[in-house]
Amino acid sequence: MEPTTKDGAVKDSASSAELFDSLRLELRRGCLVLAVLAQLRKEHYGYTLRKSLAEAGLEIEESTLYPLLRRLEQQGLLTSEWREEEKRNKRFYRLSAAGQQIFGLLLAEWNRINDSLDRIVQKEG
Amino acid sequence: MELLKRYLQAVEEHLPVRGREDTLAELRANLESEMECREEELGRSLTETEQAAVLERHGMPVLVASRYGSQHFLIGPTLFPMYWYTLKRSFPLMVLAYAAVQMAGILLGSGSGADLGHRIGESVGRFPAVALTFWGIVTLGFAVFEYGQGRFFPKLTLPKWSVRDLPPLDHDQNKRHSFASGAADLMVSALIVVWLLAVPSHPYLILGPGVKILHGMPFELTPEWHVVYWQIIGLLVAMLPLKAAMLLPSLRRARGWLQLAVKALGIMILVIMVQVRMFFVANSAISAGSLRSLDGINSGITLAFKIALAISVVIFAWELWKEIAAGQHRRTDYVAVL
Repeated sequence: MEPTTKDGAVKDSASSAELFDSLRLELRRGCLVLAVLAQLRKEHYGYTLRKSLAEAGLEIEESTLYPLLRRLEQQGLLTSEWREEEKRNKRFYRLSAAGQQIFGLLLAEWNRINDSLDRIVQKEG
Repeated sequence: MELLKRYLQAVEEHLPVRGREDTLAELRANLESEMECREEELGRSLTETEQAAVLERHGMPVLVASRYGSQHFLIGPTLFPMYWYTLKRSFPLMVLAYAAVQMAGILLGSGSGADLGHRIGESVGRFPAVALTFWGIVTLGFAVFEYGQGRFFPKLTLPKWSVRDLPPLDHDQNKRHSFASGAADLMVSALIVVWLLAVPSHPYLILGPGVKILHGMPFELTPEWHVVYWQIIGLLVAMLPLKAAMLLPSLRRARGWLQLAVKALGIMILVIMVQVRMFFVANSAISAGSLRSLDGINSGITLAFKIALAISVVIFAWELWKEIAAGQHRRTDYVAVL
């Protein structure tokens, strides 16, 4: 069944897809931080981090991921270090002590939300 | 790798100065790694088209650089509702102030009535620039506040509020006070004062072209008008702050009483008019018949004001009783809730 507006008019599929994209983006935003923090329990530099997330099924655009790493570092959740690897200087990131603590709290919150959603969806189903 | 250098140069142009070199070095390392990885997969060097595809997928330089900025908005989500509220509330007041100043300038300034339309047109034409400036100043003020909070002064915290401080339920939906109608009422009242102030020096404002006929008439306004005129102006001016106070959300509870106060001032104007026994007097020798007619006109006007006063007093008394009853009803509701 097509989604309808309040006055009963049927929305076209283009605006429906647009709405889905916008809601999906909103949903993903918080999850990305959690995924990045989780992945950086092990040291990575930008490109390998993106690759490892993609291999785990979570594609992130470079232009989203790299600034996010900077922001998380400024917030004290990550530490970084420039180091030479394969004859090239690269910036390696990993979770800081504060980051580990916040990651633990966020993960617990995520699990709570996930469990609640599961219960709600099953109940409604 | 020339394409990569050009791409990084374009990104660099838009990056924040602080940390620019560091960001570029990291970006270069990541992009080179990606290209090398792709070359390993293909077992050969990337063509220029393939290099371009990698860079284009990474994003437009200006957008990529903008994501490294610390703040992407002038007014953040916490402050924005207050910014919007301020704009909505202050805009009608700005329009009112502009209209009053412009009307005063037009009516009290020198010039004939012939170019009145032209001057009004000029004032209206200047309004978009004034409105835009007003919007710019308010926006800039909030943007500076947004930038400064947390840096130069503590972050804004929302004031404590209680649901009990909210205005009582409006039982009469049809009489719900609208801010726009209140602002329009205030604006019109201010214009009336300006208009009345301008009438003595510009009589055409009250009679139009008929003012020329008036010069040949055998009667004129009595000297009493000189006193009455200023009393009426004083009462009309006294209404303005009351009407302005009615627009304030914090005085919503007192709106009924403020309205009554405005009506009381209106009744006082009628009282003054009723006390004027003679509105017009003969300014030259006129016949007995014309004198009787003039007397009849004066009596008729006084009677009309008396009727208007009687009706207004009855309406005022009824509304006063309703307001007192509503106040008691509100107090009872409050006690019941407690």
